[in-house]
Amino acid sequence: MTTDVLLEFADVAFRYPDGNAGLAGCSLTIARGSRNALIGANGAGKTTLFQHANGLLKPQQGVVRYAGQPVDYSRAGLRALRSEVGLVFQNPDQQLFSASVREDVSFGPLNLGLDMATVRERVEQALQAVSMAPFADRPVHNLSFGQKKRVCIAGVLAMQPRLLILDEPMAGLDHAMRAELLAVLDGLHAQGITLLLATHDIDFAYRWADRIHLIAGGRCTAAFDAAALPEHAEALAAARLPMPGLVELHRLLVARKLLPTDSQPRAMGELISQLNASEKDFQ
Amino acid sequence: MLIEQCAYSNRWRRVTPAAKGLFSLGALIAAFTATQPATAALVALLLVITAVFGAGVPAARFLRVALPPLGFLLLGCLTLAYSLDFAPANGGFTVRWLPAGWSPVLQLAARSCAALSALLFLALTTPLVDLIALLRRLKMPEVLLEIMVLCYRMLFVFSEALHDTRTAQAARLGYATPALTLRSLGSLTANLTLQIWQRAHDLNVAAQSRNNDGAFRFLEPAYANSRRDITLACLGVLALVLLAVTLR
Ligand SMILES: Nc1ncnc2c1ncn2[C@@H]1O[C@H](COP(=O)(O)OP(=O)(O)O)[C@@H](O)[C@H]1O
Ligand SMILES: [Mg+2]
Repeated sequence: MTTDVLLEFADVAFRYPDGNAGLAGCSLTIARGSRNALIGANGAGKTTLFQHANGLLKPQQGVVRYAGQPVDYSRAGLRALRSEVGLVFQNPDQQLFSASVREDVSFGPLNLGLDMATVRERVEQALQAVSMAPFADRPVHNLSFGQKKRVCIAGVLAMQPRLLILDEPMAGLDHAMRAELLAVLDGLHAQGITLLLATHDIDFAYRWADRIHLIAGGRCTAAFDAAALPEHAEALAAARLPMPGLVELHRLLVARKLLPTDSQPRAMGELISQLNASEKDFQ
Repeated sequence: MLIEQCAYSNRWRRVTPAAKGLFSLGALIAAFTATQPATAALVALLLVITAVFGAGVPAARFLRVALPPLGFLLLGCLTLAYSLDFAPANGGFTVRWLPAGWSPVLQLAARSCAALSALLFLALTTPLVDLIALLRRLKMPEVLLEIMVLCYRMLFVFSEALHDTRTAQAARLGYATPALTLRSLGSLTANLTLQIWQRAHDLNVAAQSRNNDGAFRFLEPAYANSRRDITLACLGVLALVLLAVTLR
């Protein structure tokens, strides 16, 4: 099991210079190849945690391990870490600073010291992966919010990370853009990239993630397989999160014997098709 | 913003900036070698025609962008046309109209128009992004280029922040009376200063997270047919300069 752990936080604490506690004894493990959702309220410490994973912040207490090794905070060590762990910031304007889309996406791979031909190829691939290839020569400031967000993702993808971290990627996106982003993420997961994203949306986490981590007050309060979410009502309540409506509804349908107990729909669509397939009469 | 839009939407967007830069540099030289006002005017006209019919820049837009500098040019010509004499013998100032005749004024105007057209041609057909890439190829110092890139990007980030803050203030009646306006402008400035500080810090963090070690490197765009276009530009330059020299 231990060999499968890609990223591990062991009792990490970090206090900002102005005295705010960013993380307070946070422990967390991310398994290789898994989809992880980090759920927590505003100010819970999600962004701080991510900046530790990328080596932007150094824990004042505890250790961060990547692939079993404690992170090496020397120049070369950080370089190695950041080429494996890609971080997509919450606010695209924070991350984009080149004038054109193609330039911005090329920034990371060029920093890796790759040659021009490889960079060019990677940039095209990354833009293709987020369907932004037609916008390659556009200036960044003419893009919509959702497009900027996708360029940010491409900029990190072009570095070909093994762990991709996204800070609240769904925030500010409309329904269609969320669906597109999800498709992109599914594609990346299929390629074997480990995914970790922050969200407030428990319904989405239940539908999408393999594993759910709850964070509150700078501490990971619980972590469980998403499939086991219905059994963690207490942990959810402690983090002041509601049980997904889907779980409640499913329970009720099982109690009324309209669905078998062994069914476990994770999305509304699944529940509906199960109901349609069931022999029971709704009268 | 008008220039920006045009630079991205004109027909010669895909032409290598080296060709366009060369052409406009040659046109500048032609503008300076043309001593006769008529020749300079002809150069200006040819440049406008190239921009409008070659690159497909709408003529009205060209004119609109050219208007402010033309206004300055007019002012300059007026000051040249008048001359103020101070002769105590005559008992004070005398204003003289056109002491040296029309020719220096016309020459200045026509030459400036030609030079202006040359610059506008470049500005309206080549986005700043491409110009920066060109300057990089010409071995312009990296520091200057980085500053240009960041300024260009920040210009848009801040005009957005400025606009947002102003709108938010106006929505709560921040500009209802002159006194309130003054107050709002004060807090706008304070707020923007903080934002600039914060953004600069954020950008630095973001650059580090993508493994940046100080120097900014970006991919240069590739252009099809760049050799052909540069040859064409050379021919154009040659024609313009020959014209200016023979008609001097
Ligand atoms: N740059 C900073 N300086 C001081 N305190 C900060 C800074 N960034 C975050 N904090 C504080 O750290 C805590 C965790 O913040 P953050 O990691 O941004 O939470 P989240 O991303 O979950 O909303 C909050 O209490 C916040 O006020
Ligand atoms: Mg955050």
